[in-house]
Amino acid sequence: MTTMTTTRWYHRFTPRTLAGRRNLVGYVFISPFILGFLLWFLIPALVAMWLTVHEWNLISPPEYVGFKNFERMWNDQLFWKSLQVTTTYTLIAVPAGLVLGFVLALMLNAKTRGITVFRTVYYLPSVVPAVANAVLWAWIFNTEYGLANAFLRAIGLPKIKWLQDPEWALPALIIMSLWAFGSGMVIYLAGLQGIPTVFYEAADIDGAGRWHKLRHITIPLVSPVIFFNLIIGIIASFQVFVSARLVTNGGPQNATLAYVLYMYQSAFANLKMGYAAALAWVLFAIVVVLTLFVFRFVGSRVHYEDAS
Amino acid sequence: MPSNIDGLSRRDFLRASAGFTGLAFLAACAPAAAPASTGDAAAPSVEAATITFMGWGAIEEDEGVKAAIKQFESEQNAVKVTWLHTPENYLEKLLTDIAAGTPPDTAFIGGDYYREFIQDGLFLDITDKLKTDALVGAPDYFIQPQEEQRCTSEGKWYGIGSCWVAPHLYYNADLFAEMGIEPPSNDPEKAWTWAQFLEVAQAMTVDVNGKHPNEDGFDVDNVERYAVSWPTWWIPLHSAILANGGDWTDAETGLFVLDKPEATEALQNIADLFNKYHVAPSGTALQALGMSDVQMLDTGKLAMAVDGSWALSWLYKIKPKLGTGVLPGMALKTATNMQAHLHSAFASTKHPEEAWQWVRFLSTPFYQSQFCKSGLWLPSQTGLMTEEGLSTWITPGVHPEGYKDIPTKFLPNYGHIVYQPPSFIEGNVFIMSAIEAVMNGDATAEAALPQAVIDGNKILAEAQA
Repeated sequence: MTTMTTTRWYHRFTPRTLAGRRNLVGYVFISPFILGFLLWFLIPALVAMWLTVHEWNLISPPEYVGFKNFERMWNDQLFWKSLQVTTTYTLIAVPAGLVLGFVLALMLNAKTRGITVFRTVYYLPSVVPAVANAVLWAWIFNTEYGLANAFLRAIGLPKIKWLQDPEWALPALIIMSLWAFGSGMVIYLAGLQGIPTVFYEAADIDGAGRWHKLRHITIPLVSPVIFFNLIIGIIASFQVFVSARLVTNGGPQNATLAYVLYMYQSAFANLKMGYAAALAWVLFAIVVVLTLFVFRFVGSRVHYEDAS
Repeated sequence: MPSNIDGLSRRDFLRASAGFTGLAFLAACAPAAAPASTGDAAAPSVEAATITFMGWGAIEEDEGVKAAIKQFESEQNAVKVTWLHTPENYLEKLLTDIAAGTPPDTAFIGGDYYREFIQDGLFLDITDKLKTDALVGAPDYFIQPQEEQRCTSEGKWYGIGSCWVAPHLYYNADLFAEMGIEPPSNDPEKAWTWAQFLEVAQAMTVDVNGKHPNEDGFDVDNVERYAVSWPTWWIPLHSAILANGGDWTDAETGLFVLDKPEATEALQNIADLFNKYHVAPSGTALQALGMSDVQMLDTGKLAMAVDGSWALSWLYKIKPKLGTGVLPGMALKTATNMQAHLHSAFASTKHPEEAWQWVRFLSTPFYQSQFCKSGLWLPSQTGLMTEEGLSTWITPGVHPEGYKDIPTKFLPNYGHIVYQPPSFIEGNVFIMSAIEAVMNGDATAEAALPQAVIDGNKILAEAQA
């Protein structure tokens, strides 16, 4: 049945030239992706763009309001707060994650016996589902009975109200995010293993020490990987949501009101779908500008072996 | 282009195209696979109408609803009910169904968005059906005036409450007996005053050296046992504010009134339990994820807990003997917040009469008493509060001795609903943020609340306009 329909369809629409026919085959093969991209990404994104100039509570039909959503954003203290929270989070979590992942990858690049076991162990936290991770850390940060404060007590430090103190809640989430350094680490590890040993051998002959080898061989040669992790890290941390939603739900006193969490609340708790769409497009603009900025000022320092 | 594609045979191409067509067909179908909810309006009248019922809940509620559907369908054969169990992200899913133009016929509705939905004209007006019903339309069928207060908007009914739930005290009775301290009573007439409560709380809190908080050298950082946990989310705090004669919102103006002295004083009293008297572990609401009052009561780390009446359905399992009591009073003798979700029919239903029959069935003893038996719910029907009615659901082993005073005396006489105007959730964010600062000891209630009330009321006023 299907074959019959397709046969007819085939005769009717088959391009006459060989090149056209080849292209059609290509399009058919990539069509699942194209279709998914249109249905789940491009069309929703365009609808969201249309919604930015509308007010819609999901119940009554959307109503055109011009730039009111953007005006509201300008005057909305929670928008500014969420932007500040997310920027702070990114400024600390991304560099810290880059350094931690890199240092661990260097250590795990050693040719020691049983190194694969260590690699597995250090990668394990990245495999833990985000929700389980959040619940686990909520317990670790429990003021009275948590592991973090038990550790502080053991070394004679006062307890910290991790998740209740607005000063400490965001640092707590940042610490939590660092636990998932494994995904970045694996990419570094691949980068490190791609460095030809001849460079190190040559450096040894020249009498270079460990630091010099790291500074002049390792870092330049993995810089494309560092750059990749930096860009991905910035984008991902601007979208932080799960930990802020599950561990603190934005509190205390909005100290962990991440941007995407506020967007979610605007849409599904405050029933302001148009405003949430505007927030989403503003986030997109911020990420694009930041990424271009990073490409411009950091990208030029990246060393590409092929290019030279 | 790789050579294997050049050599693609017509057969392979067809196979690939067929596969793609199938995929496209599947993708096109997926969003259309919405529940065939409302049945066919043109169907012959002998056939039963099928309506949908959407709701959340854990295993127990899921089973309870299924049992209710079975009972309902055995009593008549004109209406069949399809249960759309949605345990997670309920509001999001309900809203998406509404936006897609396929809302359920009937559903659980949370009190915090009930009025918003009324304002948007989503619900079926059931006033006439209710008033003319011989059973549920009787003036004394429900606990009044609370039922009418929570269900009606400008005199019209758009839903009926599922039950009532309300915060009260739980305590480790073995610990009170051991220390020779008189525990709190279930009888509201014998409620503790705030001073009595503080006195007991100080006597029951001890640090690792056995010192009490009112003694010199009390070690704040190493408390062995706290007297009480008072969760700092809005419902248990509303109970405290009511006990001092204040309120969360004003039903007349539809605005927050938490800047009134009665409210700020009550909030300060609760904050003082953590920061001044050190008789309560801080930030209980957030700690619920880590260690809940269940384990704390169970292990003797906590003597008393303020928690919702629903918590009885799991707290009764603790090893020490469990006791319950009414909340302490402040300016008033005692008080508590009472609320619960509602059952509503949607205006868009093709079967309004059938939807009403189902909502009505949910307000009869069969459905309500099965959840009362397990300790999850308290009744909203006066018929379940008589001696005879109580005997159908009070369960020895679940409900502690003397518990019946909670549903019969405490709830109807000292329970108050909170008026939740449209945009309540959004406005309340400002309020809760200020309250978190108060509970954390960063600000006094008197200083923090006025600005939060201004910010929150801006949102509420905008929604009214």
